[in-house]
Amino acid sequence: MGSKSLSRVDRITYFLLTIVGLISASFIVFISIFIALKGVLPFLTDNLGLGSVSLFKFLTQTVWLNGPTFVSTAYGAGFLIVNTLYIAFLSLLISFPIGVLTALFIAKIAPKKIAGILRTIIELLSAIPSIVYGLVGVGFFLPIIYSLARSFGYSSSGGSGTLATVFVLALMSIPTITSISEVSIRSVDQSIEHASLALGATFTQTRFKITLLAAKSGIFSGAILAIGRSLGEATAVSLVAGNARSGPTFGLFDITSTITSTMLTGLKETQGIDYDIRFSLGIVLMVVILLTNMILNYIKKKVGNVHA
Amino acid sequence: MRNKTRLSDILLNGFVYLATSLSVLALGLIFFYVFTEGKDLLSLDLIRGNYHSRNYVATLPQSSNDSFNLQPTEQTFAIERFGLILEQSENLAGDSVIRVVYVAEDSPFSQLVLQETGNEVVSLKEGMIMMRIAYENHPTSLTSRGAAAMAADLNDPDRVVREVMFAQVGGGIRGSIITTVYLIGLTLMMALPLGVLSAIFFNEFAPRNMITKTMRTFTETLTGVPSIIFGLLGITVFVPLTIRITPASGSNLIAGAMTLAVILLPTIIRTTEEALKVVPADHRFASLALGANKTQTVFKVVLPQAIPGILTATFLGIGRIIGESAALIFVLGAAIKDSVNIYQPSTSLAVHIWAMMTDEPANVALSSTIAIIILMIVLVMNLSIKGVVSLMIKKGRA
Repeated sequence: MGSKSLSRVDRITYFLLTIVGLISASFIVFISIFIALKGVLPFLTDNLGLGSVSLFKFLTQTVWLNGPTFVSTAYGAGFLIVNTLYIAFLSLLISFPIGVLTALFIAKIAPKKIAGILRTIIELLSAIPSIVYGLVGVGFFLPIIYSLARSFGYSSSGGSGTLATVFVLALMSIPTITSISEVSIRSVDQSIEHASLALGATFTQTRFKITLLAAKSGIFSGAILAIGRSLGEATAVSLVAGNARSGPTFGLFDITSTITSTMLTGLKETQGIDYDIRFSLGIVLMVVILLTNMILNYIKKKVGNVHA
Repeated sequence: MRNKTRLSDILLNGFVYLATSLSVLALGLIFFYVFTEGKDLLSLDLIRGNYHSRNYVATLPQSSNDSFNLQPTEQTFAIERFGLILEQSENLAGDSVIRVVYVAEDSPFSQLVLQETGNEVVSLKEGMIMMRIAYENHPTSLTSRGAAAMAADLNDPDRVVREVMFAQVGGGIRGSIITTVYLIGLTLMMALPLGVLSAIFFNEFAPRNMITKTMRTFTETLTGVPSIIFGLLGITVFVPLTIRITPASGSNLIAGAMTLAVILLPTIIRTTEEALKVVPADHRFASLALGANKTQTVFKVVLPQAIPGILTATFLGIGRIIGESAALIFVLGAAIKDSVNIYQPSTSLAVHIWAMMTDEPANVALSSTIAIIILMIVLVMNLSIKGVVSLMIKKGRA
């Protein structure tokens, strides 16, 4: 339908709709430009006489604010990047096997009725807002982790820390991984499964060695999406992380902090460096997510699509 | 050899069943925890009540010696002289308090004068807490001495009431519910037209070229942006914008709704476009062949058939608005308000939870009650989407 066949009314409609489309497409540009503009301020200006923040130190230091607020510019976000990635990958270590195997059960093993119920459960889990996961994390996981740490002779800060954050994020990621893996497991060509069974493999062997392998690419996509969500999750993490001011933290019972949880703490001023530096963290967060996505997609291309 | 295979099969199957039960357990755990913690506070008073408690100190201008006819139960204490019934009770923190159960219509206590201003009239209402009553030349009735003693003191005709101290209990969530309703309304008012018209543009009008493809990629990229980043967009773009064109002076509800509208945009565009795509091309050709122009065809023939898709997008959007917290903490603030103004900061239900959980000490019980309400609404939204989809399938078959 070329524009030649359009009448005058249609041309006006087309023009107006183009503007609406352009507005919708412009938001991501707005986000990038405004956050970038504000985020570079602490590095370029002298921050009302405090001196500019050194970009190299910002990316490598291990203490968030060395000195009192509004007097010091010694912000270091290096440990936040390490913490964020460490926590995201640890949570994937829990959610990935649970999510994929649940998907396998729904797609291949469960009777139709049970599969339908399980699918509804997974849908509900993914619809639960993150603040509710955070609440359950505080009320349910923290006391358990606290007494667990005590039994190891460890005194944790009320239970908050790496392990609690990992659990909450893993719980949130399971539905994402399950729903995407299930679709790709269901769409595996049945003839290769039949071939495997005809060659004498058991059902279980076929499911694990043929079906899962063939659905590899889709399963990997689910994992990438889950990692992205874990890296960007803010409120639930800020409730259970413990908000450490320095790091990196590798101990499971030690308090930690991520890029997002640091962005949410102490949000009281609306100007000055302590405010602007959050936008710098926003840039760091976006870069971390983009790079992780790119690397994982590259790995997916390298290892994927052997059998499919 | 065969035994070994069987053993590994059993083991692997065991893992599958374990994983599935863990997933189911996760949902069970969340619902069970939230319900056991929060069910005690769930009541109409919670939904109607103020969050902040308020204390009143007032004087009693008219003394009465009428005798009211009251019917107290065994646990309550009647004050015939003033038409009041009191009861011994406990507040949420477990402290014992004296609660007002009944105030007669023409009781002198419904015409108290606030001591602070000296002319403002306040009335004692049912559900309020009686804290202290002071008399001329007699010892004061205190909470610690119990409701029975207070009732006996008040019934004594020799005592003249000098000063009454009572409190409106807090812990209600009316303000946050109103904010959430405002947010849903304002956000959908902005996001639906923008999203549906964009979907029409992309699906019906846009030329197939690089520019359209880029625009499409740009809108779809929004899906992967974490909500905290939308919060940053809100405070750099929408808050200054609303400060310039409205009476707002800081973070406010309108800016929050604008931010949410951007968050919903990709979902609304995608869902609407999918609904537009399944409209058969024949319908468009038939309409065009009858002489309608393209605008008429799209808005009168194609769009009505996409209404179930738009409805689905609306339900998805409402679920997202209710659950959103990170972006709103930046744009709307985290100060819990009882009187809501769209030009001022307030909290949605989700942010209300966050504000209480980051407070010292965290209020887990009330947070869980709000979580029950959120979960119920999300559940209803999900069921509504299922209903719309099954309606669509039925219609398609007929």
